[in-house]
Amino acid sequence: MIHCICMVQEGQIAPDQEESLRRDTADFASRHFGSAPEFNWVTVGKGNGFTEAKPSNSVIVSMNADRSLAPSSREPLLRELCEIWERGAGLSPNEVVTVIRDPQ
Amino acid sequence: MPLYICNSKPGTVSEEAKAKIANDVTRIHCEVTDAPPTFVHVFFFEDGPQPPLGDKTAMIYGQIRAGRTEAQKADIREQMGEALASHTSVASEDLMVFTTDTPASWVMEGGDVLPEPGEEEAWLAAHEAKMAALKEAAQ
Repeated sequence: MIHCICMVQEGQIAPDQEESLRRDTADFASRHFGSAPEFNWVTVGKGNGFTEAKPSNSVIVSMNADRSLAPSSREPLLRELCEIWERGAGLSPNEVVTVIRDPQ
Repeated sequence: MPLYICNSKPGTVSEEAKAKIANDVTRIHCEVTDAPPTFVHVFFFEDGPQPPLGDKTAMIYGQIRAGRTEAQKADIREQMGEALASHTSVASEDLMVFTTDTPASWVMEGGDVLPEPGEEEAWLAAHEAKMAALKEAAQ
């Protein structure tokens, strides 16, 4: 089972953006890890998110892979996932954190 | 990364305290590890699912890059526990701070895979140069 935690700031992602981000992220997982993920979509309430001790605009997308990945394999996947979120949410690279974990 | 999640029982951490705790968590992490503050995230939840509170009133869970020493992690736990207690009315025995390690190579932030501990300065300089070039190209 692929799990994907998406932590976003309240008011940052419009409902239609969320729908397309879920679809594109699920497509990413299906293509690279063999199945669509189970999402845990977490919204950080206003005044509850800080980056560099200032109000945060960061999203954190953390997914587990279906296998152990070498760095040379992981980096392009991290980049692709990052670009999905930059494009889909209209965010800058500095506002997107992607994590791809080996299976535990 | 690091990502620090503060989970607490409702009403435990005031709005004012959140900013102070976020400031302290960021400062402590950077002082202990020499990491830049740029990518230190602190998110607050009340009765959130992670980390489960159990019998505790407030908890800070830090996902930090692997490679920190046990002494550094103990220092982080101690100082952040003191900060959490000082900005809330929670007794020290009712709070908990813990961390887990995530390999730097598993994380991309700002469009770059994170550096190993100790390589932050060169990474940050290269990253900022890249971002400036992208900005210039877009204009």
